This record gives sequence, structure tokens and C-alpha cells, in this order.
Amino acid sequence: MDYRRTGSSMERNDGYEELFTIGRGAYGTVYKARDRNTGKIVALKKVLVPLTDDGIPKNTLREISLLKQLDTYEHPNIVRLFDICHGQQKERELIMFLVFEHVDQDLALYIEKNANRGGFSTITIRNMAREILNGVDFLHTNRIVHRDLKPQNLLVTHDGHIKLADFGLAKTYDFEMQLTSVVVTLWYRAPEVLLGLSYATPVDIWSVGCIIAELYKLSALFCGTSEGDQLNKIFKILGKPPRNEWPKENVAVRYESFEVVDPIGISHLIPNLCTTGKDLVLSMLKFDPNKRITALEALNHTYFTEEPINT
Amino acid sequence: MPGWYYDKKEIKNSPSAQDGLDFETEMRYRKEGARFIIDTGSKMDLGYNTTATGVVYFHRFYMFHSFHQFPRYVTACCCLFLAGKIEETPKKCKDIIKTARGLLSDEKFATFGIDPKEEVMTLERILLQTIKFDLQVEHPYSYLIKYAKCLKGDKVKLQKMVQMAWTFVNDSLCTTLALQWEPEIIAVALMYLAGKLSKFEVLDWSGRTPKHLRWWDVFLEDVTMDLLEDICHQVLDLYSTQPTAVPDSPPPKSQANPPTPRKSNGQDKSDDSAANKSIQMTDMTPYQYQTFTTAPPPAYPSVYSAPPIQVAPHLSAPPPHISAPPPTVFPQFVSHPPPFPPVVTGTAPPPTFYPPAAPHHQNQRPFYQPPP
Repeated sequence: MDYRRTGSSMERNDGYEELFTIGRGAYGTVYKARDRNTGKIVALKKVLVPLTDDGIPKNTLREISLLKQLDTYEHPNIVRLFDICHGQQKERELIMFLVFEHVDQDLALYIEKNANRGGFSTITIRNMAREILNGVDFLHTNRIVHRDLKPQNLLVTHDGHIKLADFGLAKTYDFEMQLTSVVVTLWYRAPEVLLGLSYATPVDIWSVGCIIAELYKLSALFCGTSEGDQLNKIFKILGKPPRNEWPKENVAVRYESFEVVDPIGISHLIPNLCTTGKDLVLSMLKFDPNKRITALEALNHTYFTEEPINT
Repeated sequence: MPGWYYDKKEIKNSPSAQDGLDFETEMRYRKEGARFIIDTGSKMDLGYNTTATGVVYFHRFYMFHSFHQFPRYVTACCCLFLAGKIEETPKKCKDIIKTARGLLSDEKFATFGIDPKEEVMTLERILLQTIKFDLQVEHPYSYLIKYAKCLKGDKVKLQKMVQMAWTFVNDSLCTTLALQWEPEIIAVALMYLAGKLSKFEVLDWSGRTPKHLRWWDVFLEDVTMDLLEDICHQVLDLYSTQPTAVPDSPPPKSQANPPTPRKSNGQDKSDDSAANKSIQMTDMTPYQYQTFTTAPPPAYPSVYSAPPIQVAPHLSAPPPHISAPPPTVFPQFVSHPPPFPPVVTGTAPPPTFYPPAAPHHQNQRPFYQPPP
């Protein structure tokens, strides 16, 4: 039986020529690469999968197969997954390659570029916000919580459309995050995540609220340097939540440790945000995750349905 | 999932065929592999979805690899192992191998090599790559339940019909149907077959409109009777295949009693059915089946009043779908279990009208339909 040889020849990571590193994060490394067969440029995401006594963990398998299944829907605001292959096995780890559509720029870069040109038109912002929410609604409908929405994970195509990337491997990443000491940005994290509580789809809505605000403000809304500092920044702008909304259990941080100050307010920080836009953003930035608007509700918000004429 | 359906010509021109394996033998290997997955899964109390998923992986795998290169029982174990993880019914690799060891002859188990677990674990990665990580597979069962709920008529007859159809779906795993048609179509075809055999004619159904001629028009468009008949025949062929005393792989090239060549995988009906021919006990389906393309077998009408069926010894209670007498196509067996031991769910609920609940992913709300 000589199929071990066949096995290694099938490990097609050498089917892609790595050009350069696009990003390196807690999740692993993403390369820009060229498909040797077609010449197509792709984004190659390298994921380290821990091997157990029983091979590839079922969480990883389920996550990857869900990603494959989602891709069949070809959602316009979700980055395409072309292929999955695995590389060599090292000790108790398997290297897997997820081959994604390559999109040249992310929203962080796009915001930076446009900040120099005086920012986006309100219509552009509205369209981007709608596309982000469309993608998030799609993920939530399929029971996926992104958990790390931020401008760096929102890709902007050459014609200005948004595509969500870097989702669906939360359980797989958890393993790696313990191993890497890469600093993960806290700026888009929902309070319940910062407090170390269990969380669900509302965490993504919080992130989208931050991102929409940033599209107007052209810089991040809450720029904390630690979990505590991030919460402080949030409360300084939005105000401290009422005592009865503070989680009852398992909170390492005490309610009393945050001082009560007059909130700065969104309108003051983002004077160019329209009334309905402000209402939408604030409904996404509710401290209590249960009171936060859902992606589907947000898409039906007046902000998206009113005449697109306002300043 | 697009990309996993083949026409008969492609199935005939499989990697095994290109590797010199004749079609009949390949079909036998597929049947044996599927049957083995069902048996192993059943023995380990794995649910019908897990075993069915494993069998679909198995059939897909051999659209890319030859049976000569990958021994089928190792592959079968690996498919069941992987399906267990995906369907949230994980079993330890060593336990699967242990169960397999009990079911296989020494000769067959020898294909697992000196380190059976390592053999299966190594294959896992090849399997994943081969089936392209398309691990979520739908089966006809959930559609069977869905469709049955829409049919009106005599409850008892309907129940019998659904139970018979359920058994046909189990058996269909031993064919290459899952490589040819979507689970929806297979479900319709086998319900149609079961309806015919149990003499349950569906006259009314919910959602009926004047332009609907058949109950399945509510669910599927453009399904021809020819297609349904073809699917039915592929399943029925399982029962009429002449079991021949062929030893395990590789089959000797020259044999005194070669397997009767069949014209195709169900496309052409041969009338030399197995009826009334003596049965040799082999590891294949050792049952005397009768085709009923013309008339129902004589044993047929009496079956419903038959005593409770014997179930395989390892089953403590009859699973829901065989809580009634077995499908009438099968003459009463004497000492062996039903055609393929029924797939049992882990905690078999008391016999109910419907088989256990649909798989959880059926409840997902697909917002975007995959492109055609």
C-alpha cells in the first residue's frame, strides 16, 4: 500500500506561490499568493490546527465545513473561499491553508486614504454600512458570530463594495490565541467581551456601531489601551450604564471602579452624523446586549429607508 | 452541494474502472463498504444521519480513488470516524477499529496493516482533501418526513408506506444513488415506490393546486416518471442481484461461477430476477428478493399480519422505523436480520409514527439560495 506517497503529493500547498505576507494576527498568517495553475492571485490563510489523539478536532472540521457550505451561497458581502488544503504535519499540529479571494484593500486603508481627501459622502457611508450589515446578517442567520469585526477585516473591492473576511474559525483560533502573544485590538470590542462574559451575535453589532461611527469620524471612536481603559473610554463618551444593567455574575471588574462623568456624547464627537444615523449608531452601542438592535432590524432602520438627502 | 453529482457514465468510468476493476466488482465493493459502515455504525449506536453521512463520504471518495489503491474497509472506517465528528456523535478511532475488528474476517482486517489506527488517521487527511471539506451532507430522511407530513389519507397505510420508504432509503445507501441525485428526488422516488408496493395511493395532499398532478409537484419541478422509475430500479436491483460466491478482493479473474454480468446499474432491467433461485450465504446480501416490476411477490399481502419482526441481536428494541413489519417486498426471512440492519438512533424513542427528528441543520434558515 503506497498511498502515503499519494497523500503527500495531494498536499497542494505547493500549488500556490507565496508572494508576500499580507497580515499576521492572532489567527495565523495571511499571504498574498499566486495559484500556480491558473495564475490567479489569492489570499492564502495559514491556520495551525492542533491534532488530538483522534486527529483533527471536530470543532475545526465543523467550522471549516460550514465555511465551505456558506460559500455556496456566494453572498456578495462575504469574501469567497476557493479552496482548502492541508500542508505538512508537524508533531501534533497540522498546517491548513484556506484559499480566499484576494481583495487589495481593507476598510482601514480605505478610511485612511479618504480621510486625506475630506472623507466620504453620506451616500457612500450609507451604502457601506448597509453592505456591512448585510454580511453580518448573513453570518448571524447561519449562526456564526464574527467576534472580531474591525476595519482590518472588512475588505473593500476596487468598485467600493464591502466584503467580510476572517470569520468562522473562532473555535479553531482559540487554540492559537493561547500560543501567540499578538496584541489584538480592543477598539471594537463590546463591553461584555471586555468584561469577559459569554457573548453572542450582539458583539458584532457593537463592532458595526463603532465602524459606522468611524466612517463619519474618520478615526476610531473608542481607542482604549487595555480592557479597563477601553471600558473607561466607552463610558466617557456614552455615559456609565445604570447600575441595574451591570452584569450580576462573574464580573471581574467592579461597577464602582468606573467614575460617573458627564458623557461627551456622539453628536459632539461626530458633528457630521445625521439624526437617524445617530439613532442607529446608539441603538447598536447599547451597553446591555439584549437591548442592542439586531442586524436585520438595523437594515430596516429609518437611516436606510429615508430619502438619502441629508448632511 | 453542487459538484457532487455524476451521471452513470461518469460513475462507470470511475478511477477504479480506469485501474482495471470491472464495474460489477466495483458496485459490489461499494455495496460492501456501505453495508459495513451501516453495520459498524449500528453496532456503535450511531444515528442514521451519521452512518448515512459516512456512506456518502465513502462513495464520493471512490470517485477520486481506486479500490485497488485504498482498501475499502479502512476507508469505510475512516468515513464513519469523520462522519461521527461532523454529526456531533464522535467515536474514538480505536473504538471504531475495535468494532470493525469484530465484524471483519481476519483476511479483511489484514488490510488495516500493522497499526490500524495510524492507517485510519493517515487516511483522514486524504479523505478530507478528497471530499474537499464538503462535510455537511443532506440525506433523504429529512425530506421523507417533511413530505409525509403533507400527505393525506389513511393514517395506518401512510405509516406503513413511510416506514417502507425509510427502509428503502437505508438500502439506497448501498447504491450509487447519492452520487447521482439530490436527496429530495431520492426521497420522492422511494416514497413513490413504497406507495406502489403498499398499495397506498396518495389522492390528496396539503398545498395542492389544480395544476398539481402528483403530490411531489408541490416540492419538485420537472421530475419525470422515467427518472423516478430509474431510481426505484436501482434500489430494487439490490434485492435482485444474484449473490455469487465470490471471495474478497481481489476477485480471481477466472472463476467457475463468475458474477452474472448486468447490463448497467439499473438502467436496463433484466428479468432474471433472483426469485426462486437458491441463495448462497456470502457476505453480500444473502436474501431472496423478488422484483415486482410486474406483479407483487406472493408473500406480499400476508406480511402485514406477520408476527413482530426479528431484529438483529445487538438491537435491544426495534428502531422506530421498523416498529411495524418490514417492507413487503422482502419475503419473510428466517434466521437473518432485515436486508440491512436498520440504522438506529442513539436513544431510540418509543415507536412513533415518524422516525426521529430531522437533523438540526435542517432548521437553519437559508437566506440565500445557492446558485443553480
